[in-house]
This record gives sequence, structure tokens and C-alpha cells, in this order.
Amino acid sequence: MLLGVDVGGTFTDAVLVNSGMIIKQAKVKTTQEEVLQGILQALDIVLAGSEPSVVSRVVVSSTIVTNALTEGKTEPVFLAVMAGPGMSTKERFPTEPYLADGYVDHRGKIIKSVSVNEKVFAAMSVGKKVAAVSGKFAVRNQKNEQELRIKLKEAGFERIFVGSEISGELNFVRRTNSAYFSAAVYNKFKEFIGQVEDGIRRRGITAQVQILKADGGTIPLAAALEQPVETVFTGPAASVLGIEALDAPAVNAISLDVGGTTTDIAFWSGGFPLLANKGAKIAGYPTAVRAFHMRSIGLGGDSHIRKTAQGFEIGPDRVGPAMAIGGKEPTLSDALIALGCVSFGDVKKAREAMSFLAETDDTVEEIAEKIVLASVTKIEGTIAEMIREWNLQPVYTVNDVIEGTEFVPEKLIGVGGGAPGLIPVLGMKMGLPVEIPAGAMVANAIGAAVSRPTLTATLRVDTTDGYYIIPEAGIREKIQRDFSRSTAEEILSAWLIEQADKWQMKAKNVEVMAYEEFPTIHNYYTTGKIIYLKMQLKPGILHTVTGREVVF
Amino acid sequence: MKSNLGLVFFPAFDWMISPTHPERQERLLYTRDQLLEEGLFDLEQIREYKPQLAEISDLQRVHIGIPAISRLITPAHLVSAGGCITAADSVMSGEVKRSFALVRPPGHHAMRVVHGIRGFCVINIEAIMAAYLRQKYGVRKIAIVDTDVHHGDGTQDIFYHDPDTLYISFHQDGRTLYPGSGFPNEAGSPAALGTNINLPLLPGTGDEGVHRLFDGIIRPILDDFEPEIIINSAGQDNHFSDPLASMSVTAQGYARLADKLKADIAVLEGGYSVEAALPYVNTGIILAMAEMDYSNVIEPDQTGLRRQDDRCNARVDELIRQIGDLWTNRQKLSREALAKCGDTWSRRKNIYYDEEGISEEQVETVHYCKQCNGYLTIQTAAKNTRFGSQSAFIAIVEESTCPVCRQEAYDEALKAKKTAKWQYVFVQDKTKGNIENI
Ligand SMILES: [Zn+2]
Ligand SMILES: [Zn+2]
Repeated sequence: MLLGVDVGGTFTDAVLVNSGMIIKQAKVKTTQEEVLQGILQALDIVLAGSEPSVVSRVVVSSTIVTNALTEGKTEPVFLAVMAGPGMSTKERFPTEPYLADGYVDHRGKIIKSVSVNEKVFAAMSVGKKVAAVSGKFAVRNQKNEQELRIKLKEAGFERIFVGSEISGELNFVRRTNSAYFSAAVYNKFKEFIGQVEDGIRRRGITAQVQILKADGGTIPLAAALEQPVETVFTGPAASVLGIEALDAPAVNAISLDVGGTTTDIAFWSGGFPLLANKGAKIAGYPTAVRAFHMRSIGLGGDSHIRKTAQGFEIGPDRVGPAMAIGGKEPTLSDALIALGCVSFGDVKKAREAMSFLAETDDTVEEIAEKIVLASVTKIEGTIAEMIREWNLQPVYTVNDVIEGTEFVPEKLIGVGGGAPGLIPVLGMKMGLPVEIPAGAMVANAIGAAVSRPTLTATLRVDTTDGYYIIPEAGIREKIQRDFSRSTAEEILSAWLIEQADKWQMKAKNVEVMAYEEFPTIHNYYTTGKIIYLKMQLKPGILHTVTGREVVF
Repeated sequence: MKSNLGLVFFPAFDWMISPTHPERQERLLYTRDQLLEEGLFDLEQIREYKPQLAEISDLQRVHIGIPAISRLITPAHLVSAGGCITAADSVMSGEVKRSFALVRPPGHHAMRVVHGIRGFCVINIEAIMAAYLRQKYGVRKIAIVDTDVHHGDGTQDIFYHDPDTLYISFHQDGRTLYPGSGFPNEAGSPAALGTNINLPLLPGTGDEGVHRLFDGIIRPILDDFEPEIIINSAGQDNHFSDPLASMSVTAQGYARLADKLKADIAVLEGGYSVEAALPYVNTGIILAMAEMDYSNVIEPDQTGLRRQDDRCNARVDELIRQIGDLWTNRQKLSREALAKCGDTWSRRKNIYYDEEGISEEQVETVHYCKQCNGYLTIQTAAKNTRFGSQSAFIAIVEESTCPVCRQEAYDEALKAKKTAKWQYVFVQDKTKGNIENI
């Protein structure tokens, strides 16, 4: 049986799934100070009456990394950067970097070897235990980065993260920020997974414990320590996977998870959630962390409602609970209750909340309707921005332009507490059918339980210079000139499977994500070729789950 | 927040003239790599746009293709012209301060009449954009500053009779480089005399000479002309490492030029040092246009860079004086030329299409009118096109053409038809982008 745990801002959910059926589920309050306590509480509920040995895998999705990063509760990082000539690095990283000399060009040629100003190096590294190293075009040649890493190791850093090992894709700033954030949360994360593993083992579960990543894939705890930053934003990822498990839309669709504080919006195509064109932004800084094409807006059932000259303003601050269940200020839930869209709490109190907001001779219904309309208008605006963003995928060929990437939604899916009230109104406004799948209350934990392990890696071949490189593996090998696509795929998939085996991830479904091949020309003659290949262990779910509603 | 720069990036990885031609599929590959690696697309100062597809009517506001423009282009041309239109819209809508269409295929060697591909170009993407700006946004005065190493003879050809379009090109002297034209005496036809400015530079001219020229003559003329829109034909083959030319401009030189020029819209033209120059020149131009620090954008390999010799500046100074005189006296010169030529003015052109070996003979006649801008007739005959030998008579009118001129233009077309001398007889409506087969 698969055990999934999702630690959210308000609730910690756990679910036990067997052959696509929910065997047991639990929802407990998240214990903010001692997250582990809530996890164990939820575990105890779902495991009550079962032998711990029935659990074949545990997947945890937690806000611990997200919270540490967004709240800045991290430790200081020594960030060593080799930017070479190019654009200024000013204000592009979350911390003042130490700028080392050393530069690689776009073909992977070392223009300048590493050299370090010892005095500045010493001054800037004082008091720091963790470090990150990153160089421009290091994904084409890691030698400088590796040398600098050795230097840092000798200087006594306990853990050093390297930009090109996080992602083999181009974007030096994103790789640098990723390495920085991994270092910044490393010790906190290490402590957390140590406790989780310990707690789970103490309950007699011997199965492998994995953690969810932002791209919806899972990874064993020990492997996650290699790149803690990848476990950021797992809450939204879990929610998307939950929808995939419960009711993946066959058509182009938009899912909306309406919680207490936020609404998470995701896009779907061909039965799968869409991954973002670019990596996630953390605390305002772009990273190479692969994530779903999602937006989280500060609008939920507990959102504060204010009257302004322009009409009603919903959120982003949260004041909940609703006045209908004893709160002090009017919330979006009160409007939905007053309209009879959802049925909980005291309708009379919800109506009272509405009349607090009245100025004109609007009836309670009219006020509530205006509030709901303002809410869905806000959501609709965000959806429009997301569509623009999605449609902005790079167009490199005529075919890219003609075929287009236009996303046209055909359906809305609502999950979370506020969805039944809000999403049908949005559907009406957008002229789209709406679906609220059963079992959606613990969708996140279900998503965690059934998500697949994933790994991604890239390979670049330059036959003119006679080498290939897998940055994620730190591999650079000499090659013969007649290097083909199939050889490239063999090498990279073999490495991915070897990694999967090493971490006992039992994943064999390797797929190609991107492939590019260009000739290199010198003086009108073809001298060789460049190949770029990206492959992954496919993310997604192990199997679908049949939902059922449970009253808590 | 309003971004400083709108960027349309279309490297056309599936378009090439031939696999080892300078215009080959990976021409912008290393540029793409550099821009991605620098993280330029993540900056809030830069807003990315996806190119739209241009319509045939957009092309036909400028060009008359023989037998038809649609039979001469590839789909990639519709994207590069569409990319320019997108760039124009981004600025005119006020979403961004200025924009850069980093697109291919290029266009500044494409003339008004098109029989095939010449100088790597089939359609003139800047001219199509200028016509679009006029049609859609009512822009009148436009300046096009061509910083490609080659003379933009296509752009010159298209705007030669238009006093509202100031075309300024500096380039390596035509006696030493394709297409062989671009001398100061090619200054525009009588009504537009002085609004076509050619600044041929000596081979070897570098940052120093180019900036001396910009400060000494280009900037003052631009300030005096007061264009509503400045377009930069942002070719990059003045770079010291370019394989097709012999100049000594650096990425810094180009970036500083973009900074000083502050073009509303830049459009990529040539530049064939695909590994050693383009990644850095483009990064420099983008940062300069986005009003960001470009001072550290330096080619890693500057071994091929030579200091310009003293004669380069001497040529620059001579041009500043010569063109300065032309500019100051242009209205007087124009009146005199108009008085001399009477109702019509003609020029005969022999045009060679290097790519396909086409030779075209053309007679172009401007018909002047006191009531309107007059109209244009063109007789063209070309040998060796992919359709064999072909000929056409073309009359060109626009929305503002007066009824008398319009009638005359159609009469001329019908007369030409009667002679049975021409394979095709067309009337082009420049405003609508419509070409009528007579
Ligand atoms: Zn050129
Ligand atoms: Zn007239």
C-alpha cells in the first residue's frame, strides 16, 4: 500500500491507498512549530488497525523548504561565482557573491582558468558553513567549477552545491540561484528529513521514504539531500497530482484549488498537468527548479473583503474563519454561504456579514453576488496572464510559429473547500463547463501517495571538439566524430537508469524531452556537429485513485 | 511595469539558403545560447514577444513580386516580417519603450520589385514595418539608420522618392564590398533629395571612426529631421571578426551606438561571425536598448582586432563636411532638381541578384503632381529567374493619390497592356497592399 502525507499551511493530510482505492484518510491541524508531530499524528490515524508492513512506500510533501525560503529563515551561504564578461551580476542573486576569475565560452572553451583573491575570499567566507559555486557556461565545461569546489572544500565548507549539477540547461543566473537556495536550506532540510525518517521507522514502517519535488516527481530522502531546492513548492504539485489521480481531464483544462488563503491554478493538456516554460521563482529570484505551470493567488475562503471606491476587494490577506463560523470579519466564505453556494456555518451570521458591507440599498444577495463576481474576475485575470505566459514559449522554427502553443481551455476543475461555491460562477463567466471531483478534500495527500519517481539529465555533444558532457553527472568523455543521436540516447538513458537503481527508484520509463542537432561550420565547411539531448524518468502518477467523500 | 525593451527572438533554425551558406540554420544558435545563459529573458526590463505571421498584403504595401510575392518567399519570411510588425505594435501600444526584432531572414537588400533572392534577402522587413507603421498608426516621418557593413541598397531603392523617410547608411566603401553602391551622390530623387544619406567608410574603420561619424553627422541630422520613429537596421557585420567584411567595430562599439541612437525599433540584418561576434554584439545591443549596464560585454577573443589607421578618421571627417553641406542645402538642391526635370524623373537600373544569377533591367519613372504625391511607373525585365525570363509593367498609386493621377496611372497600365510587350501588367495600391493584375 502507498502512504501519502501532505503538510499544508493549515492541515496535515495522510492517506493510505491500495490498488487505486483510498483505504483510509486523515486530516489533522498542521503543527507549525513542530511539523513532525502533525505528520506522526496523521500517520497514526491512517495506520490504526493495519500492520506497518503493508506500507510499500511513503511519500511526504512538505512546506518546510518553501516556508524556510519564502520567509528567509535560512543560513548564510558563501556564493562563489565565475561570471566572466557579459552582463552585470549586480542584484541578480539573493546574496552578494564572491566573484572569482574564470570564464568558459559558449562552446565550452576555457578562456580563463580559476584564480582567487585570497583576501577577499577569506573575508567573505567568514562564519559560513555552506557554499554554492557557479560559473557561466559551466554546463559546457565544468572544469573551473570543479576546481573552485576543491578550493572551497579545502577552505573547510561542510557542504558545497554546484550550479551545473543542478541543471544542465543554459541559464547561469537560474543555476546560481538554485545552488544558493539548496545551500541555504541544506541543514534545515537535513534535520527535517532525519526526523521524518526516524519517526516513520519508529512506527515500524520499513518501506522507502520519498519526498515530493516541485515537478511532481518523488525522490528518496537521501537523494533529495543532493538538491534540497527541488522540494520547494510541493504543496501545489501534490494538489495537481491529486487531481491527476482522481480525475485527469482528457481535454485542455484549468484546475483551481481553492483553499482558505490561496487559490492554486494549473493548466492541463492531454490528461497531464503542464510544466512551466521556465523554472520556479523563489523569493523573487528565478531558479532552474522545474515546476508546474501554476500560479497561486491570495484569494480563498478566508480572504478578507473590503469595500473600496472601485468596488469590492478580495484578499490577499486572510482574516478567517468566516463570520458564519464565529469569525470577526466578513470573508469570501460568508458571501458564498449567504448565496447558498456552500452549506456550512450559520447562514444568518453570513448574511449579517454581508450587510456590514452594505452602503447603498443593495440586498444581501446583491452584495454577495458582487463579491463573488469580484473574486472570479480576479481569478480570470490571473488565468489570462497565465495564458499569455504559456503562449510565450520560445519559437525557434517556422513550425513553432505555425503550429503554435496556444492554450485554449475547454473545462474547469475545482478542488478544495471553496471550489464548489466559486468555480461554477467562474465557469459561467468564462463559458466553460465545471467539474468538482469526489475525494478532492485530501487530493494533495493522494497526489503524494501515487506520484512517480523522477530524474532529469542532459547531454551535450560537440564532435568538432570531440567530447560529450553530462553536467548533472559531472561526466565529460572524449568521443569519436561519428556520434549519432541513438548513441547519445543510449548513454544518457543508461546513466539515468543507473541513478534510479542506485536510489532504488524502480523506474525504467526514460523519455526524450528535448533534442537539438546542428552542424558546426568553419570557412564554409562542415566540421562536425553539436547535439543537445534532455531525458527524464517520466513524472506523473503510478495509477489513478477512486475518490470518496469523507466527513471529518 | 512598462518594460524598456520588447524582444522578438526568432532564430529560424529551420531556414537556410544552403547548409554552409552564411545564412544557415545555426546563424543565431550561439546567440541564443548566450542570451539564455545570461538569463536575459528573465529580466523585468525586457518583455518577450512571439512573432506573428505577416499577411501577403503587408508585403505588398512595399513589394511587387514577379510573378507574385507569394511564389518567391518561404514561410520563414512571413515570420521575420511578422516579427518586425510585432515589434512595432509593442512600441506603438505603449507596452514597451522600444523593441528589437532579433529575427531572420534579413531584408535590407530586397528592393521594391522582386524577381528572386539577392544579398540573402527576398523581402525588406524594415520597409514592410515602416509601411505598416504608416498604415496602422498614421506615422509620417520615419528615420532608418542602417548600421550593417553592407550598403542597404534595397532600403535605399524603396525610399528613394520619399521625403518623409530619412535613410542613413554607413558601410564599408562599395568599391571594396558587395553590393558596390552607397555613395554620397545617391542622395534621393529630386523631391526627396538629401533624405538618402550614404556614408561609405574605409575598410578597417573601428569604434573610434564609427562613433566620430555618429556624433559628427548622424546625430545632428537625426535631430534636425525630427522623425516620429527611428528604426535601426541593426546589421552586425562591421564586427572585426566578420568573415564577409573588413571593418574593426567591437561589441562595445555596437552597444554604445545602440545606446546613443536610442532607436524605437531595431531589426537584425547581417552579421556572419556567428560564434565570435553575434553572441556578444546582440547581448550588448539588448542591454543598451533595455537601459542596462553593458560595459562588461566583451568578446573573449579579441586577437583579430586591429586599431584603425589614420586614414579612416580622415574619410570620416570628409564625409561629415560633404554630407553636412548636402543636408544644409537639401531644400534648395531639391527645388533646383525639380525645376530641371519637369513633370517626370526617370532612372535606369541594372540589378544583379547574386544568389540566383538573375540580371534585371529596370526603368523607374516618378510622375510629379501639384495636388498629390504623384505616382510611379516601373518597367522591369529579368533574365535567369527561377521562372525563366520575365517582364512586367507596374503602376503604383496610394490612398492619397488624386483622381487625375490615379486615372493616368491606370491609363499607363492599359497602354502597356496593349503593347503586348510585357508578360505582366500590375497596378499596386501601396496603402491597401493590393496588386491588381491588368
Ligand atoms: Zn550585411
Ligand atoms: Zn495627383
